[in-house]
Amino acid sequence: MDTTALIAKPKINRWLPYWAVLQSDLRQTIHGWVYRVWVLATLLAAIGFLLYRVGVDREAGIMQSASTFISDLLRWSVVGSIAPIIVLAGGCISSERGIMADSVLSRGISRYQYFLGKWHARLVTVVGTYLVFGLIAITGSFFFLHEDIKILGSLIALVTVIVLLAGVTTCGVTASAMCNSTVMGVAILWMVLYGVGFGLSLLPVRYPTPDYVLTNLPNILRGLYNFAQLGRLILWTVAGSILVALVGMCYFSRRDV
Amino acid sequence: MAENASDLVVETYKLTKIYQNRQIALNDVSLRIEPGSVLGLLGPNGAGKTTFVRLILGLHRPTAGWVKVFGKTMTPNAADLRRRIGYIPTNPQFPRGMSPITYLDYMARLFGLPADVRKPRLASLIRAVDLLAVSGDPVAGFSNGMTARLAVATSLINEPELLVWDEPTHGLDPEARRSMLELIKTLSREKTLIVSSHNLSDIDEVCNHAAVLSRGQMIFSGSLQDLKGRMRRNHYELDLEGDQKAIAKATQVIKGFSEFKGAALRQRRLELRMNDEAVNTSALANVFMTLADNKVTLVSIRSVGQQTEQAFLDLVEKEESRGFARACQNAEAA
Repeated sequence: MDTTALIAKPKINRWLPYWAVLQSDLRQTIHGWVYRVWVLATLLAAIGFLLYRVGVDREAGIMQSASTFISDLLRWSVVGSIAPIIVLAGGCISSERGIMADSVLSRGISRYQYFLGKWHARLVTVVGTYLVFGLIAITGSFFFLHEDIKILGSLIALVTVIVLLAGVTTCGVTASAMCNSTVMGVAILWMVLYGVGFGLSLLPVRYPTPDYVLTNLPNILRGLYNFAQLGRLILWTVAGSILVALVGMCYFSRRDV
Repeated sequence: MAENASDLVVETYKLTKIYQNRQIALNDVSLRIEPGSVLGLLGPNGAGKTTFVRLILGLHRPTAGWVKVFGKTMTPNAADLRRRIGYIPTNPQFPRGMSPITYLDYMARLFGLPADVRKPRLASLIRAVDLLAVSGDPVAGFSNGMTARLAVATSLINEPELLVWDEPTHGLDPEARRSMLELIKTLSREKTLIVSSHNLSDIDEVCNHAAVLSRGQMIFSGSLQDLKGRMRRNHYELDLEGDQKAIAKATQVIKGFSEFKGAALRQRRLELRMNDEAVNTSALANVFMTLADNKVTLVSIRSVGQQTEQAFLDLVEKEESRGFARACQNAEAA
């Protein structure tokens, strides 16, 4: 009798490889120096910005509204965060090429799962970190500054900014999956982002570009926003991100590692 | 023997890999590996061994031709096929912050093994490869031997049917190398193995089939016995005992035999080089008769050169000397 036929095969959890890569990458990213420098620099910049505004208030008696303060804080932290986010996302796959192929991709995981695991891990890191910062800033300003901001407006402003950052992160992961080296991935991503930014700045005012949204943040925080227009921007950014991710995933699933 | 193609563990057909239109790493390789085979993949540096292994695992995509594993075409997304394969790369590297426990757990999760299966299995493997004392230590400080043992455990965590080990004895000390070879012998009783190695004596010891790659082409594939059968059996060394004058006299007689193109005596060691067309058994019988006539005792006789190595070198040498003739033959065959 064939005894091997009687031994029950263990039930395979098909999404466990995806979770393993996601968790491992989250841990790895959070312990990485790029992430720590980004968080530390953002924290220090926010504290410095707050002290400056308090100083202006005390010394010159210039009172600043919460909406202006928070919109400045969000806008400058976005601008300052772009570089570390690009580095974080732009090297997530290309930097591990040798070890990745041998240790991970030779096991029971598909390229799709690997890409999704990496993409979602970086998204969670960036979005989660920014969400925590944004919520702390908005909550703090709600209680300690002049209350000209609306809760819904604040949340919409935060979601809009986070969606934009998620788009940048997605482009970074895709560039990383398509390039052989981190430097190449980061360089290409910078050029693409500048190019897209420049292209969008040429659009008529009726189109809600990222630049327009960042400039208009104080009004959004006060609740003065066009929901349909912002909704369109969010939808287009999400759709664009998914499309870019699909392109990256398909390309990665067909290339040598 | 496998009756149909679906019974084969690995089958490649006209497998070709060209890197970025610059380098031909593998050219027209067709190979069939049956269940239970232990295939030794031989070839000099740059022959295409690692490329071949990576194509089998779906880490590379073929430029032309195909690879089937367990009867299904291997692709980068064929996770279900890779779940049945255990792989050890050349010079295995591990994430520096991980310990054997965390690394094996991670690898087992990559195979989709649930906790109630993977935890006992990784514990057993850590014990089996003798890493119990360092199971919580970071792998960064591991020696070559410990790294190799962890790589072995990793390749067995999914209880694979096919093992693909790329130079498993590379960088190991003699004791670790011996253990590795014994392990291969043990595993070969129930699994199919592909062992790529530079060390021909390793292949000779553990494999029953061989495939020889040279400059991206497969120049031999078959049983190890067939490979050895291609060896030139024309160089022998005899250690003799007896009167020195008698040995010298016998040597003079042997030099006169037409089967030998050279016979040199150094102290009491007689080195014989036979003509290519000579039949070695009758020639050696004449030598023994001559030695007996002169009352010289034979202490030992051996064929010079490691057998598989000699056969391998002969194959590579012949392949390289064929030049354009090979291309013409291929064109005619097509």
